[in-house]
Amino acid sequence: MTLARRRFDALIIGAGGAGLNAALQLANANLRVAVVSKVFPTRSHTVAAQGGVNAALANVFEDNWHWHMFDTVKGSDYLGDQDAIEFMCREAIPTVYELEHNGVPFSRLDNGRIYQRAFGGQSQNFGGAQAARTCAAADRTGHAILHTLYQQNIRARTHFFDEYFGVDLIRDEEGAILGALTLEIETGEPLLIEAKTTLLATGGCGQVFRTTSNAHINTGDGMAMALRAGVPLMDMEFFQFHPTGISGRGMLITEGVRGEGGYLINKDGERFMERYAPNAKDLASRDVVARAIVTEVKEGRGCGPNADHVLLKVDHLGEDIIAKRLPGIRESSKIFAGVDPAVEPIPVFPTAHYVMGGIPTDRLGHVVIPSSDGSEEVVPGLYAAGECACVSVHGANRLGGNSLLDILVFGRAAGQQIITHLKDNPDYRPMSDEIIDKAVARLSRWEQEGEGISVRELRDEFRKVMEDHAGVFRTDEIMSEGVEKVKAVREKLKDVRLGDQSKVFNTARIEALELENLVDIGMSIVLSALERKESRGAHSRPDYTERDDVNWLKHSVYFQEGDRLDYKPVQTKPLTVDTFPPKPRVY
Amino acid sequence: MKFFVYRYNPDVDTAPHMQEYDVEVTRGMMLRDALMEIKRQDESFAFRHSCGEGVCGSDAVNANGKNLLGCTTPVTDLKEPVNVRPLPGRPVIRDLVVDMSQFYQQYRAVKPYLIHKDPLPEQEILQSPEDRDKLDGLYECIMCGCCSTSCPSFWWNPDKFHGPQALLQAWRFLADSRDQATEERLDALEGPYKLFRCHTIMNCVESCPKSLNPTKAIGKIKELMLKHSI
Amino acid sequence: MSRQASGLRAWALQRISAAYLGLYLIYILGHLSFNAPDSYESWRVYVADPGVTIGMLLFVSALLIHAWVGIRDVLIDYVHPIMARVALLSLFAIGLIGCGLWFARVIFLASVAA
Repeated sequence: MTLARRRFDALIIGAGGAGLNAALQLANANLRVAVVSKVFPTRSHTVAAQGGVNAALANVFEDNWHWHMFDTVKGSDYLGDQDAIEFMCREAIPTVYELEHNGVPFSRLDNGRIYQRAFGGQSQNFGGAQAARTCAAADRTGHAILHTLYQQNIRARTHFFDEYFGVDLIRDEEGAILGALTLEIETGEPLLIEAKTTLLATGGCGQVFRTTSNAHINTGDGMAMALRAGVPLMDMEFFQFHPTGISGRGMLITEGVRGEGGYLINKDGERFMERYAPNAKDLASRDVVARAIVTEVKEGRGCGPNADHVLLKVDHLGEDIIAKRLPGIRESSKIFAGVDPAVEPIPVFPTAHYVMGGIPTDRLGHVVIPSSDGSEEVVPGLYAAGECACVSVHGANRLGGNSLLDILVFGRAAGQQIITHLKDNPDYRPMSDEIIDKAVARLSRWEQEGEGISVRELRDEFRKVMEDHAGVFRTDEIMSEGVEKVKAVREKLKDVRLGDQSKVFNTARIEALELENLVDIGMSIVLSALERKESRGAHSRPDYTERDDVNWLKHSVYFQEGDRLDYKPVQTKPLTVDTFPPKPRVY
Repeated sequence: MKFFVYRYNPDVDTAPHMQEYDVEVTRGMMLRDALMEIKRQDESFAFRHSCGEGVCGSDAVNANGKNLLGCTTPVTDLKEPVNVRPLPGRPVIRDLVVDMSQFYQQYRAVKPYLIHKDPLPEQEILQSPEDRDKLDGLYECIMCGCCSTSCPSFWWNPDKFHGPQALLQAWRFLADSRDQATEERLDALEGPYKLFRCHTIMNCVESCPKSLNPTKAIGKIKELMLKHSI
Repeated sequence: MSRQASGLRAWALQRISAAYLGLYLIYILGHLSFNAPDSYESWRVYVADPGVTIGMLLFVSALLIHAWVGIRDVLIDYVHPIMARVALLSLFAIGLIGCGLWFARVIFLASVAA
């Protein structure tokens, strides 16, 4: 088979906020950049981010990046790398201004400055009064940012490959990444994209769980590609469950609702967060609020006929605030929960939302393979940014408003770093046919015909296993069983067959490839979770209820080969300021 | 519930046909859920969808003659049997998947990005809340294509008429107090096609799942053009 | 065609002509219901009044302009082969100009006979 080929200076896989912000840097520098996305760029899941992006602009209350850094370190339950966190919180400020200059329609204060709202886990003066640090465009901030970045890329004439699926990375004998094999969804034909540098910006993998706020496309393709190329995944046991998904459906109700003054009540009408977080109450960190809701429901104080959710009360804010600051939430609640939040409270329950872990990178976006002595080996030619990457700035729990920040800051940093790299490395590395074959084999595997399990069937089974065995509360027993079940699913995967072998826009083939990705990632989650014998951030174990900084202040590193786990120390030394040493985390 | 779904796979079919499916309705089921259920029954059925909450704009289809988003349309709002077809006027790639490239081209053609010519301030470009309010009802567009593919003028001249979606975005930038390319934008819209094929039929307004009003935006562009020409 | 043909001008002319047509129709219907001329001679005298003559000529011009823009729009929408479109446009142009000339002749004769 002769393979169609294209060549670019830089290949970016994924067209969400991270990929588009990186592409914009590269296109503005007049480099040949290709953005491959399995959906049209504005369909990427950044579009669904609601609340906003954190930056210490101090437009509402006094603020500075160092306070933001403290909140992020504390929010991460001290597992975040403090050099990367310092970098992100400093860069937040110019990044948001740059976005505004690019056209993002931020909501405004009376003095014409960007509107900032209160969000969970934010404080002034290192744990003092509530801060207002989240820059917002009503409750559609992700939409506003994604569309603006796409628009600027139109201006910069970035080359887009819309509806191309990333199959696998091309890796040579020395471990360098030379590009990727892609599949044009419309024609079903493979296309090899050769590039001097490749950036993975494929976003999250929330589809591993059955109930999730994540889109159908969030199948962790980049993470799985990295795994298959011998790159490990870091901290995969830390999966954030957003406290307020619409009960039974999973659609997100932004933390901004609580930032604007909404609060949670149980069946007795009690404002129960006062018991769990006496100071921050409903604006405690997400892991804290999610656990509180699950506890309320478990102890029989849930609402509704099945007592399976709690209520988010908003109506006291009044029609005006709701219409102006939360119009999208109102629309979603009406459609999916059948309630108008201006009149009735919204039924909510935690929903799988965000993976803190991912492909290990340094703060410049280089993908690195960490080892237990703390050293890191850079994978030549490979970069990662956004939710698929783990820098790590979120540690064991991400703060609301820090995910848009992460994708923008590190997407931009990776773009800048690639520009620098290309100046010193202007040539393509040679590519032999043998190294392409492995990627092509991944496609031809699905050409096997005959009877077998269907993709849908196994996908449903797998997502149920993950929900039952890697949810909010995790015991040794539940998770050991989970590991066995995921292993069984992985075995069954070999017997899955595609009934539909047609070429043109065959979404069944795409879903089969996605299922492989999901299972690879699921394994990294359950194994890392089973081994971490402590409770930290989003990883909560009833059998090890305390955080253990002596044995577990370290990152888990999962290698696919041999399902091996390794560990890497946390970088507790920031770039310029003093270390924030671990302290008990109370809100 | 009975569904008749438009099926066409160029690999095997010589002509399109409507195929019947039976879907058991569950509580709160949206049209997208029903289509996913149909996909469960029949792997070969193709349609685009992603976020499931009406913000990504992937799953615009024509159901019972109306353009709408599958994920925000409860099946109980649809009259049985439900006829599901691809968006009208676009070339069909397969089943409900249509070729939207002309739609995207028209979007690109209106230069849908902020043009600010003055030196940039170190902080944000200031904008009053009143000026910001002018962007409400414009920036929220999710590019699903419901409006443009329901517009007869776009059906007749998809290569030359920008269509309601692109024109709504043209006005989004004309209305932005930070944008400084009003003259160029207006000049680029001159001629009988790009803007003036709109005959205020208002199908766009009726079909927009985000309740936006492209016809009003088009009217504002014409008004501004007139102001600038005298 | 798209380069030379106008967008804004045609649209503005259509709106302005429509406004005149509307106002004139209100006037003429009002006039006719209260003050309808009852003979050929009184009709002729009415039309020969310079104010009425100008008003009617303007009405005809507005009507023709309005019709022209409307027909042009319909043809741009539906008739894509360029030769067919030019032929149809020419046909309608000749027809409309013919109507205009005939009407001008009627009004001119009415004034001359006075």
